[in-house]
Amino acid sequence: MTEQTPQSQLNSIATNGKPLLEVRNLKMYFPIVKGIFGKITGYVKAADDVSFYIQSGETLGLVGESGCGKTTVGRCIVRAYKPTDGSIVYQRADETTVDLAKVDSKELQTYRKDIRMIFQDPYSSLNPRMNVFEIISEVLRVNELCSPKEMEYMVAHIMEQCGLRPEYMRRYPHAFSGGERQRIGIARALVTSPRLVVCDEAVSGLDVSVRAQILNLMEDLRREMNLTYLFISHDLSVIRHICDRVAVMYVGKLVELADANALYTNPLHPYTESLMSAVPIPNPNLRDRKNRIRLEGEVADPSNPPSGCYFHPRCRYAKERCSTETPVLRDLGDHHFVACHFADELELTGVRMA
Amino acid sequence: MADNNNLLVQVEDLKIHFFTNEGIVRAVDGVTFDIHSGETLCMVGESGCGKSVTARALLQIVHRPGKIVDGSIVLYRQKSHDQIEKVRISDLEPKGREIRSIRGKDISMIFQEPMTSLSPMYTVGNQIMETIMLHTKADKNQARARTLELLEFVGIPRPNRIIDEYPFRLSGGMRQRAMIAMALSCNPRLLIADEPTTALDVTTQAQIIDLIQGLQKDYDMGVLFITHDLGVVAEIADRVAVMYLGNVVEYSDVYTIFNDPQHPYTQSLLRSIPKVTATREKLEVIRGMVPSPFRRPSGCPFHPRCPKAMPVCSEIEPKTISLTENHQVHCLLFDEDAKKPVREMAS
Ligand SMILES: Nc1ncnc2c1ncn2[C@@H]1O[C@H](COP(=O)(O)OP(=O)(O)OP(=O)(O)O)[C@@H](O)[C@H]1O
Ligand SMILES: Nc1ncnc2c1ncn2[C@@H]1O[C@H](COP(=O)(O)OP(=O)(O)OP(=O)(O)O)[C@@H](O)[C@H]1O
Ligand code: SF4
Ligand SMILES: [Mg+2]
Ligand SMILES: [Mg+2]
Repeated sequence: MTEQTPQSQLNSIATNGKPLLEVRNLKMYFPIVKGIFGKITGYVKAADDVSFYIQSGETLGLVGESGCGKTTVGRCIVRAYKPTDGSIVYQRADETTVDLAKVDSKELQTYRKDIRMIFQDPYSSLNPRMNVFEIISEVLRVNELCSPKEMEYMVAHIMEQCGLRPEYMRRYPHAFSGGERQRIGIARALVTSPRLVVCDEAVSGLDVSVRAQILNLMEDLRREMNLTYLFISHDLSVIRHICDRVAVMYVGKLVELADANALYTNPLHPYTESLMSAVPIPNPNLRDRKNRIRLEGEVADPSNPPSGCYFHPRCRYAKERCSTETPVLRDLGDHHFVACHFADELELTGVRMA
Repeated sequence: MADNNNLLVQVEDLKIHFFTNEGIVRAVDGVTFDIHSGETLCMVGESGCGKSVTARALLQIVHRPGKIVDGSIVLYRQKSHDQIEKVRISDLEPKGREIRSIRGKDISMIFQEPMTSLSPMYTVGNQIMETIMLHTKADKNQARARTLELLEFVGIPRPNRIIDEYPFRLSGGMRQRAMIAMALSCNPRLLIADEPTTALDVTTQAQIIDLIQGLQKDYDMGVLFITHDLGVVAEIADRVAVMYLGNVVEYSDVYTIFNDPQHPYTQSLLRSIPKVTATREKLEVIRGMVPSPFRRPSGCPFHPRCPKAMPVCSEIEPKTISLTENHQVHCLLFDEDAKKPVREMAS
């Protein structure tokens, strides 16, 4: 079933270091249903053959165009979705492994406490009929992880750590501002002292000072409790700040994966280059002097992607080969992976210094 | 910019309070600013400081138990070629006809949370067509054609398919773009954008900003842009209003705010940005927590967290001081009169 794609090169490295999580050839296809008879007319290939690993205690960043499938990958890992194909190998605390893609919903329950997700949309992910205490403590209650008295203490403690006032515990989500709700979602994820957290745009609605506070908290937790993060974000400054390695996705596929420093200063994929060139720099004196790469052309449709390299209709370096042959993800040295035919010839520009 | 002929909206001493069971939340407490045609005003500030509530008040959508308790919001509306009408939005009935004719037409808003303004029950296309038909004479076919055009314009792939999709089937960024299409559908005079690009990647963000700025040039549209991303502010703002706990604490042009900030809160804010060129050093944070809105600190609301606080700061509420004609701060460091009596008492 799982064909051996060249992406599995990645896995061979992973096995040496005993990763906490290893995603192999993950596919998530959403059927496109038409009409009242529910005829399936095609598939949105939201994640299409994605492979990567995360070491214990490491933070892996996941970036890419909106709609490229980042949330889908995250949701597969916490098994909010059942993947169409591929495996998600998780290493338990006792060093045995389990393929999360295959376990049933009953067994899944045992991992809910250890693998947590901070959801992208703090509005739709908080139940409006539950107060903040109920929201944050839900997983503790369902799994009977502690006594009611301890629960109250734990909720208050995590709220405080996330910059929320414990007095507000009995309030309902609607009485909070956008950023405050986001912190409720963060507190809910962290209250169980998890081992792996998928952070989907976890700090994007926060003001810079609170964001700094949360990032410092996440970093402290990582160090103290050996937490591991998959950190999805559009904010490339935050990604740079917090991640060890970064993976870049484009239309359901990984196009580059490297050490954060290497990716920012020496990107090898043209899409990554365009991302780096578009990072807004907080200095108005530089606003006219930049040479941002404007991506022209149509955003690719994941149900009907372009031929060859998916990026070729928008790539300014594309040659004939790009529209016919799909580039594979390959290692160009130092575990710097890239899927571009011309990665070793192109001279691309990294992030602007400011 | 001080050209008053271009004045679009003027907000003066606006106060919005929430009357909750636990007490009164002074969410917006004396906010003053104005927006001109063709101008971008960026609003920044701590989460919960009242940005969204202020923005929504411009459309008279303040939810209970909130209420505009003081101040005014005036819209300068072009009646005919040389006639400008003053509409006091703050006095309008929230459900009345007049404000409904303004919403979506003169002033439209991109909301912070796409899912609360896109109904899950209707397709994206139907919702945009509805807005178009409400404010123009377009029939169903024309509205659909215009909707397709708009969806394409905001960079949605295969608009032909997406127009008939329900919002939950779209990615976060696509929903946001659908909302932007809806907000732009009637060429508003003022666009309020509440964190419109927070959910978007930087290249799409750049496209959306180009798009808004293009429209702004073509139609001389005014923009109120709320964001936490100081990088975006640096790139698009003409002027910046920095808010803290319901007040505008500093207000000036973008260059002054970044190059010569005077309010201690603005200064701290600029110091806590992570740099895209640096990794993993501890980020600077503003000490302490945002105070409970029920227990607003006395004097200057920022004083418990302010690195430059003086004894007088817990006693006197700062008033707005003009450092230059276009630079206002709300801080006692610049108020010689307020500082004086304390010094005399001390000696
Ligand atoms: N439940 C679903 N049913 C059908 N299609 C879906 C579903 N969820 C996501 N998709 C589609 O899958 C693709 C990837 O979506 P996803 O939410 O993973 O993107 P993303 O990278 O997280 O984007 P963003 O940065 O905007 O949040 C999109 O084309 C989206 O429309
Ligand atoms: N229905 C309500 N009842 C009580 N307080 C409310 C209500 N709605 C908003 N508030 C309070 O009003 C204040 C301002 O909220 P607002 O949404 O304007 O913040 P904001 O500046 O937009 O924050 P963010 O950056 O997090 O979106 C907050 O302290 C919030 O808790
Ligand atoms: S393979 Fe071709 S089209 Fe794809 S990124 Fe490389 S140069 Fe561009
Ligand atoms: Mg997402
Ligand atoms: Mg807000």
